[in-house]
Amino acid sequence: MIENPCILTDVTKCIGCEQCVAACKKINGLPEAGAPPRPGATPDGLSADRWTTVIRKPDNHFVRKQCRHCLQPACVSVCPVGALQKTPEGPVIYDKSICMGCRYCMLGCPYGIPHYQWDSANPSVRKCILCYPSLKSGKIDKPACVTACPTQATIFGAREEMLQEAKRRLKAEPSKYIQKVWGETEVGGTSVLYIADISLDFLAWNGGKQLTDEPLPTLTWAALKPVPFEFIGMGAVMGSIYWIIERRKKLMAEKARENASEEGPNGK
Amino acid sequence: MENRRLFLFKGFMWVLAGLAAAVAVLRFALGLGVSTALSDTTPWGLWIGFDVMGGVALAAGGFVMAAVVHVFHQERYHAAARPAILTAFLGYGAVAVGLLFDLGLPWNIWHPIIFWNPRSPLFEVAWCVMLYLTVLALEIAPVILVKTPFQKLHGLLSRLALPIMILGIMLSTLHQSSLGSLLLIMPFRVHPLWYSHLLPELFFVSAICLGLSMVMLESSVTSWLYKREPEMEMLSGLARLASFALAFYFLFKMVDLAIQHKLGLIFDGSWPSSLFIIEMLLSAVIPAVLFAIPAVRRSSKALWFLAACSVGGFVLDRINASGLSQVWATRNFYFPAWTEFAISLGIVSACVLVFLFIEEHFPVDPHALEQTEAERKKQESALPAFAPFAQVWLGEGWRKSARVYSFLFVLAMAFGLTVAPKTEPVLQMPAKRAVGADILRMGPGPRYVYFDHKKHQDEAGGDKSCCICHHLHQKGDVGTPCVVCHQKMFLPTNIFNHEAHVAALNGKASCALCHGEAEPVKVAPLAKKCSECHEKDFMAQNPAVKVFDSKWAPSYKDAMHKMCIPCHEEKAKDPKVNQPNLGRCGACHDSGTATEKAYLAKFPDSSKPGGVK
Repeated sequence: MIENPCILTDVTKCIGCEQCVAACKKINGLPEAGAPPRPGATPDGLSADRWTTVIRKPDNHFVRKQCRHCLQPACVSVCPVGALQKTPEGPVIYDKSICMGCRYCMLGCPYGIPHYQWDSANPSVRKCILCYPSLKSGKIDKPACVTACPTQATIFGAREEMLQEAKRRLKAEPSKYIQKVWGETEVGGTSVLYIADISLDFLAWNGGKQLTDEPLPTLTWAALKPVPFEFIGMGAVMGSIYWIIERRKKLMAEKARENASEEGPNGK
Repeated sequence: MENRRLFLFKGFMWVLAGLAAAVAVLRFALGLGVSTALSDTTPWGLWIGFDVMGGVALAAGGFVMAAVVHVFHQERYHAAARPAILTAFLGYGAVAVGLLFDLGLPWNIWHPIIFWNPRSPLFEVAWCVMLYLTVLALEIAPVILVKTPFQKLHGLLSRLALPIMILGIMLSTLHQSSLGSLLLIMPFRVHPLWYSHLLPELFFVSAICLGLSMVMLESSVTSWLYKREPEMEMLSGLARLASFALAFYFLFKMVDLAIQHKLGLIFDGSWPSSLFIIEMLLSAVIPAVLFAIPAVRRSSKALWFLAACSVGGFVLDRINASGLSQVWATRNFYFPAWTEFAISLGIVSACVLVFLFIEEHFPVDPHALEQTEAERKKQESALPAFAPFAQVWLGEGWRKSARVYSFLFVLAMAFGLTVAPKTEPVLQMPAKRAVGADILRMGPGPRYVYFDHKKHQDEAGGDKSCCICHHLHQKGDVGTPCVVCHQKMFLPTNIFNHEAHVAALNGKASCALCHGEAEPVKVAPLAKKCSECHEKDFMAQNPAVKVFDSKWAPSYKDAMHKMCIPCHEEKAKDPKVNQPNLGRCGACHDSGTATEKAYLAKFPDSSKPGGVK
């Protein structure tokens, strides 16, 4: 398996046939017609049974949405038990046997990727795993969705190569594309890159207005790093306050006793 | 039943607990989908916002009072310390129970003990809550142990009380603030009025404020329940402390917003801004101002009202930060299902019942215990009471109330089991057909298919051909509008009329005609296929469509996919038609053809200002 596997999707080439969706469902053993959508289902069409989807945008633009396999994934950093893992090769995968089902990953993901099996009494978090088990065992050399694409709108390779290819295309036809590779730097970079002739900011919550190039896990780490010091500091402060007040009280009591004993003989 | 007020209150608590027990059965048997209104856009709801976030904050009284009384030596508040610590213990127990309901895989709740991810704030919260629960148990144990034979252990724990208290304060500092850290990773979900890099600090300060208010509220409520004099000296002292703490919290929040240049957002008139104003008024502004007035501090009614107001405000803060304010980003207004409320209230009532039990039997508040024990003695020595008409002995006081309570519990549980939903809610997706019927548009968002309805209709036989695609066997029935059977256009509809078949085939003697003699159970899946008798009735006009032998009329999608595709694929191979691409998805789903563009321009999507282009 190659290092830093990456998918580059060229929105201008996608015809919206959803062969990628069908291939994804097949290789991952997902039901063809999944559970009917619940009220509040994500409008992009992703669900626990649909790990990639094609969003239809005006003027015949089709945007495939899937897990971005961030270089520094928020979902992995927030999972309290490490059920979501970034593999050494790159794909972000999920281990149900560790998961508690807290669903923090679903909130932490800026793209709203992890979905839940609401209809099950023994549910899993589900999302694209970049066909990691099959790629790893060498059963396939490309993710199923890439193989299925009839127009090569979505291609697969090492991240550096894909980045170069994206930039080559932007340069070759500068009037066709918006001069930006989505996923190059946002939230520290992702392993699913896009080039397009429309803005793809809608892929993130709230149009990605709050996202910067800074990886999201650094936001929490800034607060978590000093925790051991805060813990010990609080103990020390509380302990010393107790000691000071206790001592002052004792001294006062002693003084009162002394006063009493001094006054005693004088009074006689 | 000396104290009718207490009796009714406890009875009500038992009813709530019974209702929750019923919902609990369904929650664990059928999953979260049936028992909650949670969804992929709103994965955390009432159980996290109120039970966990609110519960931990409500239990803050424990560490605040431990610090005030034992570290700062404010002995006059001693009477409030033990009940506060007991509340904290029960509160954290409630948080753990609440989590068992909320976690998708509750049997893995212990996993943070062995699977570590120190970079997750939730991991820190999990550990702190586990440790703090243990610490609280140790803090409260001497109260229970004093009435048991384990006097040595009691002595040891009493001597270790101070270090245990301080450890409890240290742990509380960490996880009260870590609950704020939980939200740090989602600047894209939490509304800017709540999001701040200082969330952990804000949560810590507000927990202290809430802790003080909660202790006041609790003390007022118990003295009302047991008809005792409110401990005014202590309460007004706490109110004075609270007014300082609340004022500090308010200033902290405002300065934080000012530094981030967000003050303007407070009055922008949006829905989050109104929530924020209500929250700040309830939690900080009103109580802080009124607590500072000495006359208010002398009125027990005012204190209890203001404490409740502040507690409500801070719980709203937790719910806002962890849920309501996120509607701003998700555009999905989640409102908890009644079953979610039932569980939350049930857990609270169970805790209240345990609290009252411990307070009545163990020296949490020694003065109060004396009163209740005296009352119990009076009851025990009273003459046996008989029911006025039946002349049946009702038993002693406690046995009688136990009977009433268990009856209420079982009744509420039976009621809950009957009315609780057993199937998941399904999003109603109206299938819209654009005027002219040339573009089929379905579901939310612009999902459409180019479909020349008229051409297909003409080819299939004109006006009376609808049932070739949309109805399968009701020959000649072109008068029934589609919606009569197809309430939901995406779901297949049962079209088999069993009663009519039974009547037509001479009553019960005819079962075996369809179901077979040897068939053990007479169920639909094992019965004869419709086409075995009705071959002639099915779609003879359109040879391209495969004979359908299901008892179900297809849904819209199936009618299109299962029936269009085979016909299209066949025609694609036909050299006479000469359209080799007809069988591919793009034949219908492909866009960009001039015809389609023209059609779409004619029928703009009314739900969007720009329209579908």
